[in-house]
Amino acid sequence: MSGHVTENHVAKSPITIVVDAMGGDHAPEEVVKAAAALSVEKPDGSEPLHLLLVGDAPRLHQLLMHQRYDAECLAIHHASQVITMEESPREALAAKQDSSIAVAARLCSEGRASALVSAGNTGAAVLSCLQYWKRLPGIRRCALAAVYPTEVRRGEKDDPFSLILDVGATLDATADDLVSFAVMGAAYAARISKNPQPKVALLSNGAEAGKGPKEVVAAHARLKELRGLHFIGNVEGVDIPRGVADVVVCSGFVGNVVLKMLEGVSETVVRLAHYAYKEKLMWRAGLAMLSGGIGKLKDLTDWKQYGGAPLLGFDHLLIKAHGRSQAGAIQNAIKVAKKGVASGLLPDIERGLREADLPQALPVGQS
Amino acid sequence: MERPSPSTKSPSELGIPNVIYRWDLDKTYLRTDFDTFMSLVRTAFEDAEDKRTVPGAATLLRELRQSGHGRARICFISGSPRQMRKVLTEKLRLDGIEFDEFVLKPNLRNMLTGRFRALREQVGYKLPALLAGRAGVTAETREVCFGDDAESDALIYSLYGDLLAGRVDRTMLEQVLRSAGTYQDDAARTVSIFESLPHSEAVERVFIHLDRKSPPSKFDRYGERLVPIYNYFQAALVLFQDGRLEASAVVRVAVEMVDRHAYSIEALRNSLQDLLRRRRVRIDTVNSIGRAIADGAGERDLLPALGTLPGTRDLLRSLASGLRDLGPLSEQELGPPPETGPIDYLAALADLPRRHKRK
Repeated sequence: MSGHVTENHVAKSPITIVVDAMGGDHAPEEVVKAAAALSVEKPDGSEPLHLLLVGDAPRLHQLLMHQRYDAECLAIHHASQVITMEESPREALAAKQDSSIAVAARLCSEGRASALVSAGNTGAAVLSCLQYWKRLPGIRRCALAAVYPTEVRRGEKDDPFSLILDVGATLDATADDLVSFAVMGAAYAARISKNPQPKVALLSNGAEAGKGPKEVVAAHARLKELRGLHFIGNVEGVDIPRGVADVVVCSGFVGNVVLKMLEGVSETVVRLAHYAYKEKLMWRAGLAMLSGGIGKLKDLTDWKQYGGAPLLGFDHLLIKAHGRSQAGAIQNAIKVAKKGVASGLLPDIERGLREADLPQALPVGQS
Repeated sequence: MERPSPSTKSPSELGIPNVIYRWDLDKTYLRTDFDTFMSLVRTAFEDAEDKRTVPGAATLLRELRQSGHGRARICFISGSPRQMRKVLTEKLRLDGIEFDEFVLKPNLRNMLTGRFRALREQVGYKLPALLAGRAGVTAETREVCFGDDAESDALIYSLYGDLLAGRVDRTMLEQVLRSAGTYQDDAARTVSIFESLPHSEAVERVFIHLDRKSPPSKFDRYGERLVPIYNYFQAALVLFQDGRLEASAVVRVAVEMVDRHAYSIEALRNSLQDLLRRRRVRIDTVNSIGRAIADGAGERDLLPALGTLPGTRDLLRSLASGLRDLGPLSEQELGPPPETGPIDYLAALADLPRRHKRK
């Protein structure tokens, strides 16, 4: 209930997160389950959270009726179309303006919600935001960020993740783009991981300032001069899992390759362990003895705990949950979105961008 | 012996109610926490001043009393022990609630006579108490019942309504009482009262306050008469639609929730949408409330009654625009209509938590 008994006290407006209820491999069932569970969760002292589920209203309603939920914190907005994971984002979005993701992005732009969570088609989500949202002053290109588990822990929460951005929203990034990514990543780490002075680095092929493509070299020079940012210079790929930097900045092309490679390495390690388990009794015994530690490691590297990837650079926040997300992962994504809004992430980014004195944004549609 | 001549006075002059509002107390009117032993102990020793009312419940009760123009009866029936009468009546007095009847459970007597099953069992306690409450009223007297999802209120109130309507017969009643584990003497008394009452469609509405946020589908079997509600704004809206309350009364319930319990306009709007989706209020009902609030007449009628609450004008405007923001919900966006058809009380009883039925 958003109306906790605080006599003679008028309620603050709740934080409203719009959720693309039809997006993802397990939608809408798992999305509805996640929203219902969050609606009854009332952590003491936290800001009230309202959720606006967008999708096939009768279906969402039917699913909701079988859940424990709080009607005061949940609403449904009908959208008659769905963009599937397999569809080409641009064509699908052009053909389906009443799709759940497009309607969800539009509702944010109309002021009905502050952030959007989707586990659906990433391209369609990004394009929907681009269609309906405004870029923040100083942002030419937006960035999708991802977290990756590292050796080093950081921040007030002892967070074992570093942030990498961009991981695919902008394939080619200019020096200005890389500077804006650094500012946005630092703000995100400060607000979400409660790491007040995150170490920011550029990903390159050497630690020296002159190493790397010209835009990285130029960005290095700019970031070194930027006040209020804890820029530690360049890092190499090997430094990412070591956790040398809290925020690793790169172009979307490089970031996506890095992220996929890191995911591939994790999966290969798991497969090798399975192979070892089957191959020899001695290895099996060894793995059994290590099972507690492996379990903890698995928890640490489990994407379900991350809460999704934020799309930064717009006047609203998109948290893109993994397509395979089930209720738990979607709940985490919504919690991150709420935290982003409640902690003032976007005003913080705007402040950082003003200080970076970046050129104005491109006209809409050119990102 | 001389028989008294039949009275020529009207039911109104005789003080016979035309509507009875029956309220459970804990988790329905009061925000009671007795889910753990410690909280149960704490509840038992609370003073009247420490007891908390469910947001909107006090205003709704006062409005219901007033709307009956002297012919609305307020009756409380609670599973709390009789020893709590003083503190509970004091709490109602503090809330400005006038009532006509207050039934509490004889738990001490049950303990002293070794009737331990009766301490937890509700069907064998509440059902005869409800039926006995029909004595002295006419068949035309309607009833609206308020309970919660913590125990067996949905089953008891629905069964009560169907017994009065003649949809459930003596055999079924006996089977239900047996399955519920009701003591034989209580069961015999219940059957006897039931057989003395005339049949009428007396129970027109049952509200179940979803204190535990039970899934609404859990109550589908009880049909359209029973409305699971998340708050008393929802109940007020349904009562407005049923013709039991004026629009201004609905707004006063909303104002109490916002002003005294920190409800947001968004929470009220979501509550309304929930009822619309569940087809428990109609769109024309929402429109007519919205009009009453938005137009000048709404303010003229409402503001004097609301007194000098700060921000009332703004609240009314926000509520009216909140209702408009719901947008035109089309028929295809709504959920399916509530179930109709006879209620299988034995199946309903079997689905209750163990303590409400015999093993």
